[in-house]
Amino acid sequence: MKLLNKKSSGLLFVAFFVSGFAAFAQDSAKGNLNITLSYFTDNNTLPYLSVKVKTKANGKFKMVSDIPLKLYLNNDSAVNLIKAVVTNDKGEAAAIIPPSLKSQWSGSTSHNFIATFDGNKKYESAKADLSVNRAKILIDTTSDKKIVASVLALKDTSWVPVKGVDVIIAIKRMDAYLNVNETATFTTDSTGKASADFKRDSIPSDANGNIVIVAKVDDNDQFGNLLIEKTVPWGAKFIPVNDFGKRTLFATSGRAPVWLILIAASIVIGVWGVLILLVVNLFRIRKLGLEA
Amino acid sequence: MKQENNSRREFLLTGLLAAGVIAGCTSKKNAFEAGADADVVASGKKVKLLSVDGDVIEVDEAFLKPVPQMPAVSNSEARLGIEGKKFVMVIDLSRCKNLRKCEEACDHMHGVNPGQHWVKVYPMKDAEHTAPYWQPTTCMHCDEPPCVKVCPVDATFKRQDGIVLIDSDRCIGCRFCMAACPYSTRVFNWSAPDIPAEMASKPYSCETSVPQKKGTVGKCDFCPDMTRKGELPHCVSACPNGTFFFGDLNEDTVTNGSETFRFSDLIRDKAGYRLMEDLGTKPSVYYLPPVSRNFPYESGLENDSTKKS
Amino acid sequence: MENLNALTEEKIIQDLLPQKFGKVGKIWVVALSVVCLIGAFAYYRQLRYGLVVTAMRDYVSWGIYISNFVFFVAISLVGSLITAVFRLAHVEWSTPLTRIAEMIALSAIIFAAIIIIVDMGSPERFYNLFLHGRIQSPIIWDVIVITTYFFISLLLLYYPLLPDIKILLRYKEKTGRKLNQFYSFIGSYWKGTKEQARISRNALHVLSITIIPVAFTIHTVTSWLFATTYRPGWDSTNFGAYFISGAFLVGAGSVVVLMYVIRNAYHMEKYITRGHFEKMGRIVVLLALLYLYFNVNEYLVPAFKMKKSEDAHLTGLFTGEFAPLFWFAILVGMILPILILIFKKGRRPLPAFIAGCMVVVGAWFKRYLIVTPTLLHPFLPMHNVPENYRHYFPSWEEWAIALGSLAGAMLVITLLCRIFPIIPIQETLTEHHETAQ
Repeated sequence: MKLLNKKSSGLLFVAFFVSGFAAFAQDSAKGNLNITLSYFTDNNTLPYLSVKVKTKANGKFKMVSDIPLKLYLNNDSAVNLIKAVVTNDKGEAAAIIPPSLKSQWSGSTSHNFIATFDGNKKYESAKADLSVNRAKILIDTTSDKKIVASVLALKDTSWVPVKGVDVIIAIKRMDAYLNVNETATFTTDSTGKASADFKRDSIPSDANGNIVIVAKVDDNDQFGNLLIEKTVPWGAKFIPVNDFGKRTLFATSGRAPVWLILIAASIVIGVWGVLILLVVNLFRIRKLGLEA
Repeated sequence: MKQENNSRREFLLTGLLAAGVIAGCTSKKNAFEAGADADVVASGKKVKLLSVDGDVIEVDEAFLKPVPQMPAVSNSEARLGIEGKKFVMVIDLSRCKNLRKCEEACDHMHGVNPGQHWVKVYPMKDAEHTAPYWQPTTCMHCDEPPCVKVCPVDATFKRQDGIVLIDSDRCIGCRFCMAACPYSTRVFNWSAPDIPAEMASKPYSCETSVPQKKGTVGKCDFCPDMTRKGELPHCVSACPNGTFFFGDLNEDTVTNGSETFRFSDLIRDKAGYRLMEDLGTKPSVYYLPPVSRNFPYESGLENDSTKKS
Repeated sequence: MENLNALTEEKIIQDLLPQKFGKVGKIWVVALSVVCLIGAFAYYRQLRYGLVVTAMRDYVSWGIYISNFVFFVAISLVGSLITAVFRLAHVEWSTPLTRIAEMIALSAIIFAAIIIIVDMGSPERFYNLFLHGRIQSPIIWDVIVITTYFFISLLLLYYPLLPDIKILLRYKEKTGRKLNQFYSFIGSYWKGTKEQARISRNALHVLSITIIPVAFTIHTVTSWLFATTYRPGWDSTNFGAYFISGAFLVGAGSVVVLMYVIRNAYHMEKYITRGHFEKMGRIVVLLALLYLYFNVNEYLVPAFKMKKSEDAHLTGLFTGEFAPLFWFAILVGMILPILILIFKKGRRPLPAFIAGCMVVVGAWFKRYLIVTPTLLHPFLPMHNVPENYRHYFPSWEEWAIALGSLAGAMLVITLLCRIFPIIPIQETLTEHHETAQ
């Protein structure tokens, strides 16, 4: 008996150990996250960071939500924390540089942004970084519809023009940027300037003829994303004609064509008028009958 | 890629522009349109932030919040539509390869019943000697919609931005609109929709068309909920070939997410046309003829025979 | 009417009083009720699971519910034909048929309304039709005219019934206490005075005039449910007249059928005479020829042109999948009845009854052919859809409900025959009195 117990308990122990090991082995097959950092400066005012988190599942990339990340400036010590963020249901998060990091920010012309993820039950820890040289973009327009964009980078304490940066010069539209002429991208010359002629004549604009011209740098290795806008009165004045309230066959119930309402009403009133008279007559007959 | 940048950029940029933070000035409401965020109201509470020049500036807190899930659009707002816009779609038939990513994306995001699609890709061959091509067909959002004319209860309606929507809370399921539509674009929820619990519990809005209801009609809605957020409809974003172009006719611009064109130029240069023009429905979807294709029609057949429905 | 001269007034009344059901009558009522109950159960299933229990799908989105609806509306027109038109034209021999026609019209229009609600995917929102109705929609026009026609038919049944109720009240032992209470509730105030009779006569005259345009409207508007769409087979300017001529035909045919059944079941040979079949037979021939003429216009003219959108549809009807049904409907619904009734021997009661049955059955299938084949030929190809989208054969639930509605309509007629004298007693007496003099 004792021997049997020993054997069985020994077997049990092995069984537990193996199953435990198997469970552990399952846990360790965690997913890997792919973190992408992007840097934006819009209208040369507020710089901000955007982070996207995705994972590869079944050969396809999928955005991952609810991932807590820590964003740092220059190095990942706590004093350099920009912000702790959590990705939204689209797998994205963003942060603005807080004033507390002013000294680190002003301290150098280029910065290294770091995003760290400590890992959770589903995913391994991950890290990503992005280095950026501070830059700004300016836009200027002339009366003969020429647009000049200049890209300047911060070197030591002064802004110097940068050559060879791809700039897109376009008109801002509802959810897109329409190039001002056939050329998609312009490159800055040695003076850091790129110019384009505005060729989109009579492009519809608002009631005052204003359109917004945009010069932007997309995903530059050194400078990240830059954008600047300017309003110019080069569009064709356009006031949308809204005939939503017109009376038509496809309008809502209250806005049927008048002729239809008249015809239908007259038929209904005419016929039902007769019917009501007939019912009244029935009551007259009834009255006569009850009196008799 | 660029379109994703735009959406990221949008949420802070529009808020900042509305705050008038350009040129470093503080919280003055800016004059021109700020996109989706145009009616964010200053809260009065200021926040300190760092600018590119290394200066500390103050911005009203309200303008810095990322655009949350937009507050639900009320039924009357959904029936009115977005003012000043006239949505239009251009489908480039020379790019369609019957990959049906558009169908997948739309079906998935709207919980369309299996076997039914709101976007349908048809193999077309108009006559014996004419070219075969694949034609993705959405709802045409006609300017003289035969479906709206016949609806007895105003459950389907045309908005001022051109979109024709269905109100599944009003629909009585008579299916007259389905008989009237010459483009066969409408589908009917014959049974209770088979959708995940999360989708089924969302509050219904005509603009999202989610969740669908048993005994009502459904169709493509041009994704007005996406447009309000500054994003493109799902089919437009999903097509790897960029077949769908979407935009505002009043801005004369259409985009497929990566390429943007002036609408009038596109239609004129590529001889755009509309389906069944002679019926007088005045559709809002234009087609670019299938010329100079990069791949033959037959390459679309492989995706066809493997899938049954 | 010739035989009536030999009868006394008393005998006429006794003959025409509503009779209790015999054995056959009871079996008939039970059978119809069973069919109705099965239909009700099928409808419960439809409410619970949705219209998926039918065979309708995205292409054939209208099936036999709608063709049944059109059929009912068509039959209900008989009320205006027999009752109103004949009354205005002082057609004396039509007197025994007026109430039959009105009963058919009333029960048909009731079930037209019922079957259209059955077809709705979300009937719990029925009130939206009144709360948010759009006057631009042909369905709203249909709702208005059907409601109007129902009330007109009700009045057209009720007004001539009043003198008969006075007679019925006298025969309490024969009719029974319950019915007697019912009669006194609905019409004991009718005393037959000159003043009352004058008002009633005028009212009937006005009613007969009014019902004719309303009857024309009801079926024209129903035809516009199809003609206001672009589809091949429906996109026709002819539809209003086409439907109305078909309605008159099926209405006349149904009257012939009911005439025969009642004549035999209630032994009314002296009242519904061979002469009636002779005359109704001629009318059916005329109407069938008229309907055939409209069919020729409706089918041969587009076939001459063979527009692309109509090509597949017409070919399907003439030689394709719908050919057997199409030629059956034409042959059995129009041509054979014409051939039977065009000869004097064919206008005797039994052959006329057979011809009438053929007209009604052919008409039912004709309505189906108007509704469904068109939907299977959409402008854009049927592609990438489940197999059951490409065909249509009604499911058992649809059959149960459709047959249930037909049984229900027949049950209502049967019930009306049980409660009210099928042949107007007072008018028969009046005519008998006049001919005797």
